Amino acid sequence: MTDSGESRAKQAISFTVNGEPKTAHAYPMERLLDVLRHQLHLTGTKEGCGEGECGSCAVLMDGMLVNSCLVPVLQAQGASMVTIEGLATHETLHVLQEAFLECGGAQCGICTPGMILASAHLLNEKRQPTMEEIREGLSGNLCRCTGYSQIVEAVAEAGRRRTTA
Amino acid sequence: MRSNPSDYEMVAPGSLQAIVSLLAKEPGLWLPIAGGTDVMVQFAAGKLPARKLVSIWNLSELRRIEVTCGEIRIGAACTYTDLRKHERVGAEFPLLQSAARWTGGIANQNRGTIGGNIVNASPAADSLPALLVYDAQLILVSVRGERRVPYAGFHTGYKKTLLARDELIRAVCLPRRFSGYRTHARKVGVRNAQAISKVCIAALGRVVDGVVEDVRIALGSVAPVPLRLTETEQIVRAKAIDSDLLSSARKTVASEIRPIDDIRSTARYRAAVSVNLVMEFLDRLKSESPESGELKGVLARWNRCSSDEAAAAILPCCGSRVWAQRMVARRPLADEASLLAAANETWNNLAPGDRMEAFRSHPRIGESRPAKASSSQSPPVESVKWSAQEQQNIRDADAAVTIALADSNREYERRFNRIFIVCATGKSAAEILEILQRRLNHDAEAELHEAAEQQRQITEIRLRKWIEG
Amino acid sequence: MSLLGLLHFVLPKTFALFASRLSYTIPSAQPGNLSVERARQIPAVTSRSGMNSDRIVGNSVPRKEGRDKVTGRSQYVDDMVLPDMLFGATVRSQIPRGRIRKITLDPGIAWDEFVIVSAKDIPGKNCISLIVDDQPCLASEFVNHPEEPILLLAHRNRYLLPQAVAAVSIEYDPSPAIFTMEESEGRAATIWGADNIFKTYLIEKGDVDTIWDKADHIVEAEYTTGAQEQLYIENNGMIAVFDAAHGITVWGSLQCPYYIHKALTALCNLPAEKVRVVQMETGGAFGGKEEYPSMIAAHAALLAIKSGNPVKIIYDRMEDMAATTKRHPSRTRHRTAVSRDGRILGGEIDFTIDGGAYATLSSVVLSRGAIHAGGPYYWPSVRIRAKAVATNAPPHGAFRGFGAPQTLFAMERHMDRIAQTLGLSAVEIRRRNFLRPGQATTTEQVVREPIDLGKLLDRALEVADYHSKKQRFASVDESGFSRKGIGIAAFLHGAGFTGSGERYLSSVVGVEGCADGNVRVLVSSTEFGQGTNTVLSQVAAEALGLPYESVSLAQPDTLAVPNSGPTVASRTAMVVGKLVQSAAVGIRQTLISSNLLNEDYTAEQFRAACQHYVAEHGQFRSWSRYEAPEGIYWDDEKYRGEAYAAFAWAVYIAEVTVDLTTYRVVVDDFVALQEVGRVLHPLLARGQIIGGIAQGIGFSLYEKVVWQNGRMQNAQMTNYIMPTATDLPPIRVFFEELGNIHGAYGAKGIGELPMDGPAPAILNAIVDALGIHFDSVPLLPEDIMDALDSASPVSAVGAMGGSR
Repeated sequence: MTDSGESRAKQAISFTVNGEPKTAHAYPMERLLDVLRHQLHLTGTKEGCGEGECGSCAVLMDGMLVNSCLVPVLQAQGASMVTIEGLATHETLHVLQEAFLECGGAQCGICTPGMILASAHLLNEKRQPTMEEIREGLSGNLCRCTGYSQIVEAVAEAGRRRTTA
Repeated sequence: MRSNPSDYEMVAPGSLQAIVSLLAKEPGLWLPIAGGTDVMVQFAAGKLPARKLVSIWNLSELRRIEVTCGEIRIGAACTYTDLRKHERVGAEFPLLQSAARWTGGIANQNRGTIGGNIVNASPAADSLPALLVYDAQLILVSVRGERRVPYAGFHTGYKKTLLARDELIRAVCLPRRFSGYRTHARKVGVRNAQAISKVCIAALGRVVDGVVEDVRIALGSVAPVPLRLTETEQIVRAKAIDSDLLSSARKTVASEIRPIDDIRSTARYRAAVSVNLVMEFLDRLKSESPESGELKGVLARWNRCSSDEAAAAILPCCGSRVWAQRMVARRPLADEASLLAAANETWNNLAPGDRMEAFRSHPRIGESRPAKASSSQSPPVESVKWSAQEQQNIRDADAAVTIALADSNREYERRFNRIFIVCATGKSAAEILEILQRRLNHDAEAELHEAAEQQRQITEIRLRKWIEG
Repeated sequence: MSLLGLLHFVLPKTFALFASRLSYTIPSAQPGNLSVERARQIPAVTSRSGMNSDRIVGNSVPRKEGRDKVTGRSQYVDDMVLPDMLFGATVRSQIPRGRIRKITLDPGIAWDEFVIVSAKDIPGKNCISLIVDDQPCLASEFVNHPEEPILLLAHRNRYLLPQAVAAVSIEYDPSPAIFTMEESEGRAATIWGADNIFKTYLIEKGDVDTIWDKADHIVEAEYTTGAQEQLYIENNGMIAVFDAAHGITVWGSLQCPYYIHKALTALCNLPAEKVRVVQMETGGAFGGKEEYPSMIAAHAALLAIKSGNPVKIIYDRMEDMAATTKRHPSRTRHRTAVSRDGRILGGEIDFTIDGGAYATLSSVVLSRGAIHAGGPYYWPSVRIRAKAVATNAPPHGAFRGFGAPQTLFAMERHMDRIAQTLGLSAVEIRRRNFLRPGQATTTEQVVREPIDLGKLLDRALEVADYHSKKQRFASVDESGFSRKGIGIAAFLHGAGFTGSGERYLSSVVGVEGCADGNVRVLVSSTEFGQGTNTVLSQVAAEALGLPYESVSLAQPDTLAVPNSGPTVASRTAMVVGKLVQSAAVGIRQTLISSNLLNEDYTAEQFRAACQHYVAEHGQFRSWSRYEAPEGIYWDDEKYRGEAYAAFAWAVYIAEVTVDLTTYRVVVDDFVALQEVGRVLHPLLARGQIIGGIAQGIGFSLYEKVVWQNGRMQNAQMTNYIMPTATDLPPIRVFFEELGNIHGAYGAKGIGELPMDGPAPAILNAIVDALGIHFDSVPLLPEDIMDALDSASPVSAVGAMGGSR
C-alpha cells in the first residue's frame, strides 16, 4: 500500500449542518460530499461527476455555494453547511421547492437538490434576478432532463413570491 | 472516486508563518491547496502525485485585497468571487473581472483562487492573460522572506514556474495605471459557461489622435504558457490603425503563436480564431477613439439591452418604477449629459404617487434598510448599497446626534407622512440634523417640493456613479 | 369540498402561470372532422353525481413523487446501504480485440480480502441475454472491445478498489481491430459472424428501378451522425443480494425490470420466481438504462453469490461514459429522383449503423431508423436498404429516438438540398411532398387520421415569423461579423413497438383496490423523470372518477407487478396507459357487480366499497392484457404494413447566429410545434419536449465522442460537452391534438419525438446562414471554419474566406 512513515489517522472535524452541530471522524482528504452522504447519512446531496462540472453535489458552506465533491472535509472545519435537507422547515416547503413543483422544475430529480441550492444562493445575492441572470447563476448546474426552461421559470417565480410575501 | 483518502495527509496550520515553515522543513513534499478546484479533480481521477497537502484556504493573510496609491494587492487566496465583487478591481482592472466571471460556474468561482490559477499554470487558465497585460507582479513568500517578481517571466515552460519548492505566492500586485485604456476580453470555449478555454484574449489599448499610444495583447491556449504578443504590439504601437496595419498585424499574430491540437480543439482553429480576436480588438480600438464621442461602456450596454433589463438596471438610481420605464423609453441616450437631462425632466414630470415610491425606497437617515417594505416590491439591493455609501458619515456620528436624528426623523414622519429625504452625500450627521430641524418648520407643500429636489440630487449622483461602471 | 374541488381551486394559479408560456390548439370540432369527434368521445368514465366535472387528464396535476425530489428524500440506488455490504468494481479490457493470454494479480494488494469473480463463476449461461445472446457477461478467452468486462472485484472498503483494479495485470495477444463502418463493410477484419453484419432490412415500395429515366433531377448525398452519450446525471448502479432461499434480488437505476429479470435467470440458472428486480428512483435514463443495467445487475449478482454479502456497484462518471452504450453512429446515403416541379418520384436510401462489438439492440434501432428514413413524405417508390455492422467499440445501444434521429436528420437535410437544386424554397419542397390522409408511407401504412401537414407547417412558420426573418437574414450586409439563418425540419415519430412488437410483448397491467380504499396501479413501467407515475395515476383516476390523490403506482418490483413491457419506444402513456384505463374499469365493474357500488358513485362511496370488498375477499385486482387492434397488419418478412399504431407529427424551426470570429453557433430561437393526439399533462409534456430539444441541440452542436482505437478519449464531463443553462434559448412549444383511438385518452407517445427535429432544423439554419452544405453532426466550430476555408458555395451568396 503506502509507506507507513507518516501518521494518516482520521481526525475529528466539527461543523454545523442545517443548524445542527456535527463531528465527523474522517481522513482530512475525504471529500465533504462523501462525509455528508456516508457518515452523516444526508443523501440528498448527489454525486454526478466527481469533477466539479455538474453541480449535483452543491451545498452552501458559510453561505457560499460550493461543489462538495471538491472540498476536502478538513477545510469544512468550523463551517456552517446547508444541504437540501435543511431547506424545508419540517413539512413547510421553501418557496423554491414550491416553485419547482408548480413550474415543473424537477423531472428525474437527481440534479434538483444542487439546482435548488444554487437557486437559493442566487436569490440571496439578487432579489429578483432577470432570466439571463438566473441562467448565469445556474450555469454550473447541469440538467439533462428539463432543458432548463422550467427551472428558470421556477426560480423567477420564487423570486417574485419572496418579494410579495 | 479513484483515490484512497487514507493515503493522504492534510494539515491546516492556520497561519502564513506556520505554512512557510512547513514548506521549508520538507521542501517539495507539501502541496499547498486553496479552493481545490484543480487539485481535487486530480485527486478524484486518481492522478494526484502529492501525498501531503497543506491548506491555505481562507487564510486571512492571503485573502485580502489592499488598495494603495500605486497598486492593488490581491491576496493569492482571493477567490474569483472576491474579484468579481470588488469595486476597484472591476473599475480599474475589468479584464480580471471578466476572467473571474468566465471561470467555471458560481460554485467554482466561490472556491477557485487567483493564486491557484497561477500556480496550476495551465496555458488555458482564464485570468493569466489579464495579469500579463496589466504588468502584474507577484509577491512570493518563504521562510527566507518575501521577493517580488514580474509576472511576465514567471512561467518558464509548460506547467513550470519560478516558484521555489518552499515558496508560496502571497499576492498579485496590479499597478493602478490602466484607467484610461480601452479594454477587450473574450473567451472562446466549448460552450458559454463552465468551459476550458480554446483561446482567450485579454487586451488593452490607448489611442490618442488616431495613433495607438500603447497596446497590450495576451492570449491563452496558444502556447505552452500564457502568451504576450510582444511582436504584434510592436508592429501596432505608435501607428495609425489602417488596413495595412491590420494586415501586418494579422501576419505577426500568426507567426507569434504556437497552438496545438488537443482533445478540445485544433491548432488550425486556434490559429484562425486568435487572429480574429486580435483583429476584433484592433477594430474596436479604431472605432471607439475619443474624438468620435466615446460612449461610456455602461451607457452603451444599457442602450442595447432588453427593456426589462434596462429598467431593472437604472431603477436603483431613483426608486420609482415609472421613472425607470420612462427613462428606458428614451433610449438610446447619447452621453452623460443627455442621461442627466432626461433624468431630471422625467423626475419633474412624475405623478406624486410615483415620487412617493422613490421616497419609500430609502432607508431612514441613520438606518440601513427601508422602514417598511412597500406593498409591491422591495427596493433592489443596489439601492440599499447606494444609500449605505451616501450615509457613510452618519455612521460615525456620536450618540447624542444619533439619538436626536432618530427623534427628529420620527417627528418628521408624523408630520409629513413619509420619511425625511435629504441628499446626504458629503454632509455630516450634525449638518443633516440641522437641515432636518429646519425643514420640520416647512408647510406640507414647500416640504414636498424640497424632498423632490433632494431626490433629484440623489438620483443625479447615483447616475454619475452608475455610468462610471 | 371534495379533493377534486380542492384541486380545482389550486390549479388555476398554476395554469395561469403556465398558460402564458404554452399555447396548444385544440382544433375546433367541425362538421366532418370525424376523428376529432371520435377522439373526444373516448369515455372518460366520469361519474355523474357529486363530482366536479373537471378532468384530471389534461391538467397539470402535481408530480406524484415531486415532493420527495425537491426535498432530497428520493432514494436513488447509491442512497441505499445494506448491512455487511461490499462494493464491487470491474476489471476491463485495455485493448479493442484479442485473446487473453494471462491474468496476474500483482503483489502489494491484500488479495485475500477481496472477492474475485471470473467467467468461471457464472452458474448459468455466460451472456447478457437480450435478443441475440452474443454478449458475454465476463470475457473468458477473447475480448472484442475496450472496456469489455473481464473480472469483478469486491471489498468492504470502496476506496481500496481502484488500486486493486489497477493491480490486475492482463497480457493479451492482440488481433487486428476495426473501428469504422467502412472498415467493417470492407472486412478489414471479420469480427462478428461471417460478414460483420448484425442485421439487414429491405423496404421496397413501388418500382424504384423505373423512375430514374423519368427524373428531371437526381439528387445524391451522404449524411452522417456521430455517437452520443446519454449523460443521465445519475451514473449507473446496482445492489444485489443472494440467499439460497429467495434467490437473487437486485435494486437499481433502470428502465426495464423484466429485461434484467430475463438476463439474470439465464445467467444464474435460476427459476423465474427466484429472481427479483426492484427499480429505485432513477436519475435520468434516455435509453441508456434500457439494456446496460442487465450487465451491472449480473456483475453485482455474481459477486453477491460468491461472497454471500450484499454487493453495491456504482459507476463513476468516467467508467459510465467509457464503458456503457451510446447512440449508434450512422451513415445515410440518399439518391433521389425528383421532378422539376419538386415532387419526389422515388429513390434509394442506404442506411448503415455502427453497432459496436455485440448485437445487443442494433437490429431494433436499425428497424426504426429504416422505417422513418422516408420522413413525413409521400414516396411513390422507394428502396430502403438498412444494415447494422460490427466494430470493436463498446456496443452501442438505445438512446431517445432510437434510429429515427439518424435517418430523419438525413431526410430533412436532403429535402433542403433537393429544394436548393431545383430552385424551390425549403417550405415549398416540403409542402409538395407531405403525406396526406389516404396516402401510404414507405411501408405501405395508410395515413388514416386527418393530419394536415401543410397547415402544421403554416402554423409553425407563422409562430416563428419565418418568412420575414428569412428575408431579413438574406439581405444582411456580407461584411458583418456574424450571419443569421433559419431552418425547418418536418418529421414524424411512431409510438409504441414496431410492427408486431407490441403483440409480441403482450403487456399486462394490473390495477388494485387497496385495504384503505385507495387504488394502486401495477406496472413494470418505470419513472425516470418523464412522468410515468403521474400520467398513469391520472389515467386511472380519470377512468374511475376518483381524485388524483387516491391513485398511486406500486414500485416496479418483479415480485409485485406484471410485465407491462419495457419503458421505451414512447409507449408508456399511449399503450400502457390504455391498458391501465381498461384494468381500472375492471375494478369498478367488480365493485358494481358485487352490489357494493352503483353506476353513479362518489369518491367516498368508491372508497367505502373498496374497503369493504378487500375486507371480505382479500386481494382485489383487475388485469388487462394487450390485444392488437383489428386491422393492424404487419409483415415481418417483407417489412411492410402498419409499422406503428400511431404517428405523432411535428415541424420544428430553428433560428441561429453563426459568429464569424469564433465560428460558434448560437441558437437564438427555437419553435417546436407537434401534433400529439392529446396532451395528458401540459407541464410534463412541455418539459419533455424542451428537454428532448436540449439533447437535440447538444447532438447538433456540442456532443462529440472522441474515439481512438475504439476507446472514448473524452470520458469526463469536462471534455464531453452538454449545454448549460446559458447555452440554450427559451424554447417555444406548441401542441396540436387530433386524438388517437389507440392511446389512453387519445394520447400518442411523445418522449422521443423531440429528439428528431433539432439536428436537421439547426443544420438547415446554418446552411441558410452560410450558403454551404453541412451534412454531419455534431457540427463543431472547427468544422465550420474548415468548411468556410475550403468551400465552394452552392448558393448565390458568394464565396467567403475563413477569416475577416
